[in-house]
Amino acid sequence: MDMEISTKEALIMHVDLNSCFAIIEQQANPLIRNKPVVIAAYDTPRGMIIASSYEAKALGLSLGLSVADARKVYPGVVVMMPDPEKYFDANRRFSKLLNKYTNKVVAKSVDEFAVDFEGSPAIRAGMTMEEIGMKIKEDVKRELGSYVTINVGIAPNRFLAKLAAGLNKPDGMNRIDYTNLREVLAKLTLIDLPGINYRYQARLNLNGIYTPLQFLDADLDKLKKQVFGSIVGYYWYLRLRGYPIDQIDFSRKTIGQQYALGNKTKDIDELSRLIMKLSEKVGRRLRRANLTAGGIYLTVGFEGYRFFAHRQKVKERIYATQQIHREAMKMLNSIDIVSRVTNISVTVYDLKDLRYKQLNLFIPSEADLYSIANASDEVNDRYGEFTITPARMANMQDVILKRVAFGKIE
Amino acid sequence: MRQKIDQEASVVMYYSARKKVALPHLISWQNTEYQVGEIGYHHKIREGRTLYHIYELIDVGSNLWFRIKLNTDNLHWTVEAISDGHGD
Repeated sequence: MDMEISTKEALIMHVDLNSCFAIIEQQANPLIRNKPVVIAAYDTPRGMIIASSYEAKALGLSLGLSVADARKVYPGVVVMMPDPEKYFDANRRFSKLLNKYTNKVVAKSVDEFAVDFEGSPAIRAGMTMEEIGMKIKEDVKRELGSYVTINVGIAPNRFLAKLAAGLNKPDGMNRIDYTNLREVLAKLTLIDLPGINYRYQARLNLNGIYTPLQFLDADLDKLKKQVFGSIVGYYWYLRLRGYPIDQIDFSRKTIGQQYALGNKTKDIDELSRLIMKLSEKVGRRLRRANLTAGGIYLTVGFEGYRFFAHRQKVKERIYATQQIHREAMKMLNSIDIVSRVTNISVTVYDLKDLRYKQLNLFIPSEADLYSIANASDEVNDRYGEFTITPARMANMQDVILKRVAFGKIE
Repeated sequence: MRQKIDQEASVVMYYSARKKVALPHLISWQNTEYQVGEIGYHHKIREGRTLYHIYELIDVGSNLWFRIKLNTDNLHWTVEAISDGHGD
């Protein structure tokens, strides 16, 4: 089967904030504009860079580099710790201004949105997508600040729109559709394609595909049966041709919290306390969203780059912090902790609306657990986070600062 | 270099009925007055039930950046941090 490139009108827009965290900080502090600025998880020498301004990126000061190494490259680099409340505020403002154009807006992460303009008032009024893109750029400057710029990509599907948004950073606007798809792909490498990492690149190379154009021209059967060995090959076949294979998804799939340990440890009690705090943060977000979870995923990173990850479905749906902690600890206790732990994450998945949870009132402990969880959330809402905490979390107020998730957001 | 301060300061705030916006206008801190120049960012946070307004701004001479916070319960202002815009 050979499918032509889609000639569907390009009504999907991908917008992302250029170097989001850094540009928001440069907007907030005019004295650090046009300077190399890095945001690091910790502003100590071993802290890792999590975001960089364009000026810092140009010097090679990018994600994953340590603060100490960044200062060796450029001693005058401005190093800051993240300010999540400010970034969430910027995200809310960005989302609000996009929602003025259409309600088909999906936040892909804290700094990226996919917007479907099909049937929107702006399109019905005769505006072109480029005109809408320029208007959004003006709105961003007015609502977030004159220094803030965005990249805009326009295409018939989300994949090509995201690719288009990345073509001319910063402050770019590009369109990819059937009229220029081949021309655009000819100038790119496989790694430039969103969703193609080095592992996928290697797999494509093994099958004689070295360029995006070769990827586009590859036979469907080859992609399905040889390269990807599954329906994923079919999805790529469609995606590259501009078909809307990636549905706009309004539902949240997971809620997770991650922590990089400043003081690495093997002590199981200390790890239990850290997991309790992560469980409390995940639990609060779960309850705030009125959801229950059907599974839990724990990852633990060790010194020497060892890594443990395990997911577990649970018999009774999870709602309370103690339930999350109990399941996470079962998984942690199943492994040998031979070296110090460097990072932990706790994630719950298989999320469903709480309305569908049938509380078994004949098991008093289950009803109690839910009531206690709700009551402690109410106190923490009124008097501040962690006013009431599980006993295991005593003296942990400053551990696990509020962080910004890099993945899909609520 | 950025410095954490956390000291109360006197602030003159001006509300414009025409622009429908209230903004800090003058900061008096450690016996020096700083006229507010560009306000870089303004956002709100909650700690428990208390709402705070956070303003990040520079003075008119572009010498110093301030992060100041207004507690809407008691209407007190605090200088949270300052910076000269240079690296450490």
